[in-house]
Amino acid sequence: MTIGILMYAHNSQFVDYALMSIISGGLAKKHLAVPASLVTDLSTMEWMQESNILQKANSVFEHIIIVDRPVTDNRRTLCDGKTQAVVPFVNSNRASAYDLTPYNRTLLIDSDYLIFSNRLAEYWNVDQDVLIGQSINDIYVGDRLGYNDRYISETGVKLYWATTVMFTKNNTSKIFFDTVNFVKEHYSYYADLFRFDSRQFRNDIAFSVAKHILDGFKSSAVGTLPPVLTTLDTDVLTSVDHDRLTFLIAAPLSEKYIPTSISNTDIHIMNKQSVIRHADQLMEML
Amino acid sequence: MDPRLQAALDFSNYQQTFSIQRKTLKEKIEAKLTYGFNGGLFRIDSNLLTFVEMLSTKRSGGVVLMDANNNPILIDNLMDFKDELFSRYFEATVEYYEKYQQLKKSRSVEKLISQ
Repeated sequence: MTIGILMYAHNSQFVDYALMSIISGGLAKKHLAVPASLVTDLSTMEWMQESNILQKANSVFEHIIIVDRPVTDNRRTLCDGKTQAVVPFVNSNRASAYDLTPYNRTLLIDSDYLIFSNRLAEYWNVDQDVLIGQSINDIYVGDRLGYNDRYISETGVKLYWATTVMFTKNNTSKIFFDTVNFVKEHYSYYADLFRFDSRQFRNDIAFSVAKHILDGFKSSAVGTLPPVLTTLDTDVLTSVDHDRLTFLIAAPLSEKYIPTSISNTDIHIMNKQSVIRHADQLMEML
Repeated sequence: MDPRLQAALDFSNYQQTFSIQRKTLKEKIEAKLTYGFNGGLFRIDSNLLTFVEMLSTKRSGGVVLMDANNNPILIDNLMDFKDELFSRYFEATVEYYEKYQQLKKSRSVEKLISQ
């Protein structure tokens, strides 16, 4: 059975997802010791060529799979510490992972998820066809998360985090991804049914609704990956020194930042710009 | 500012960093105590260790154990499985102890984040 990592990168004018995917893919490949492949589009490829990172991409990724750039008017507010901007967000085609993956068993990760341990390697042989991040795990010890970080809406079902998804290419996972696609195509209907905001498409919600339906319209802890340790986009990655990442964590209801650092721990860094600012140091780790 | 209040606020800052460092350390150890075996997923804790140790006194061949998802998993060689569990447990808990001691000895935010 072939196993490997799959990621998506569709650049916007605000975020260099291609660069992030090289960092994330390279770290995942190094720490999980399996190949990685990238799904991207022609304009992002052209940008990689222009910005001289295509060679690095070719060395990190076993396959670079070119697809049509998804057409979307998705926008979201992205913070970089205390500053924020509303930016386009092209990430609506992750449900195509089933068709595009070159592997029998695939770990699908977001480009802002940096893997520094082999924790997820324990899941390659787990006898579950589809596994998804069971929840978000805020690095801060207090409670900064809202209801909508745990549930798809105030009256909706549990929110799983599609930041990490592992699946085996078989009939069961095909049904899962077909259901994710169906939810995506009928997003307004499911938004009415589960009472979530339909204005912005979220993979996490489409995956969560699909899991809820396929689990027999109930919540199930089976088929989950570990909670996704996360720094929010109001937090700032301030330095990368060998394998140590130092952050300033934004304290809730305060202007204060709390310094902290991690090493050898997988981390979802929502502040993408702060990752890009440290791209050189992160690339040295690959 | 009253020096007593300043001292309290400084300690509060230290304590918040300490708490986050402790949390991420625990996260790292939790990862090391997760063991995927023969299609199952096991959380290595005192319950599992005790149970496997007890089973090993009754039987040396194959046994079936419930994994973290309550799925029955065949363990062909109980002794090898037990050795692997204990080895991972010792490694993880010793690392936890050592790193935690380093954290406790770090009396400033600067020292905490360099651990």
